[in-house]
Amino acid sequence: MIRFNWRKALAALLLSVLLLSGATACSKVDNSPYAQAQKESTQRGARAVAKDAEQGSSFNKFFPSSGQGYTVVFSQEKKGFSEAKLKKDAKDMALLSISDTISLPTAAKKYDSATEKLAGYPVLEIGNTQTGILVADRYQVKALSRDPEFTKENRRAWIQKFDLIGLSKLK
Amino acid sequence: MSKPIYEIVDDLPTTGLTVRALKSLDFVVPGHWENLVGFDNTIKAVTMETDPAMIQAIGERAVQLYNDKSQGYQKALWLYNTVDSASSALGAAALANRVGQDISFLGLLKHLAPKPEQAQSVDLAVKLVTEVVAFCQINGIPGDSLGDFLAALGDYGGEALLRMAALVSFDGLVPLGPNFIQKVGTYLNGLSPKDLEQNQTFKGVNELIPGGSSEEKLNFIGQSFESVKGWMGNLVTQNGLTQEGIVDRLVQVADVSKDKLDYLGAFLDIAVKYYSHTGTQTLARRLIERAVAEV
Repeated sequence: MIRFNWRKALAALLLSVLLLSGATACSKVDNSPYAQAQKESTQRGARAVAKDAEQGSSFNKFFPSSGQGYTVVFSQEKKGFSEAKLKKDAKDMALLSISDTISLPTAAKKYDSATEKLAGYPVLEIGNTQTGILVADRYQVKALSRDPEFTKENRRAWIQKFDLIGLSKLK
Repeated sequence: MSKPIYEIVDDLPTTGLTVRALKSLDFVVPGHWENLVGFDNTIKAVTMETDPAMIQAIGERAVQLYNDKSQGYQKALWLYNTVDSASSALGAAALANRVGQDISFLGLLKHLAPKPEQAQSVDLAVKLVTEVVAFCQINGIPGDSLGDFLAALGDYGGEALLRMAALVSFDGLVPLGPNFIQKVGTYLNGLSPKDLEQNQTFKGVNELIPGGSSEEKLNFIGQSFESVKGWMGNLVTQNGLTQEGIVDRLVQVADVSKDKLDYLGAFLDIAVKYYSHTGTQTLARRLIERAVAEV
């Protein structure tokens, strides 16, 4: 005769309840357009900044200096990235940045479509507010307008004030 | 697993005591403070971009950067959240929940005890240092570079400036009175490393404050306070901040009776999460400023 084992039955029941509730908790649907990026970037070993990316501090010396009524104020400096604000009369006019595309190859790839050059480097107008160039196939230099008065021409002029030759030799 | 950054920014409150208390001080910010809420909204406001594909790309990069622990953004948010919850000395979560429902201030009084001046002074100093350390985590400047912090402090605007105004007002002027800067300085000078270890707010953020021992940490706190006190004094004078003026504004926000001023500081500690609210906004802004430049 097979005896009904209450303990085993109870254990099985508890286990299934646990699994079910676990599954429900984990299967909470993330409908955000960023859900995929969230999933990928939280996986083990995922990183946003490549190990071999240049230190942000090594970019600082290639930035333009203050002048012509504008002040350059450094605002962020991280591995693979450095950014400064361009201010005039205490107003934020633009952001200037250098980033190492080794961490984000698609950022470099987009310059394949560039049909024009600025200071000898492929240049792109990106979105409404950005002008970018790719130096030495690796370093992206951008000027981003933060005030409507800061035009595309201003962005192009300020990009040329960077020490682009120095940056191109950075290894 | 921790909450995704886009959910944290989407879930920031648009109403409630914290937002109302911050609004009562927003005259300090040039052009006044906008309570910027929502991840996509923040991307649009910060970058001025409108193309959905561009916004998506910026958002995805911001998510990646936030999730890379080596980048310090998560630590900064942890600091902002922890300093808020640690400073509510009563730690009465249930009470805080009820306060969130905007119930009458007077009904709460019997639960509240004003903090001793010394504890309040240390609290203010620890919060100030938290700002220094969180700033360095977000902007990547080494954790003990006060010079860089001071240069950037002069350039604070928007929610970051409002956070400092709230620190000066809610943790300085209201509980300690017009001489709060001198008071905090005096208490800090007389403080032993042991006393510091007892402070609830310090306990919360202790591990991220530069220094190998409590004594070194106390020194760092002292130095930070010394370097920023002039700036705080200017903020008070330039904006005409007074204990009376702030209380007048808060009376309207929190249904406070003026004769219960002693309790107002304690009430603010529990009910007003100004560090985590504006800290999340600062973090999102800087993350997005970087993401848009990188994509």
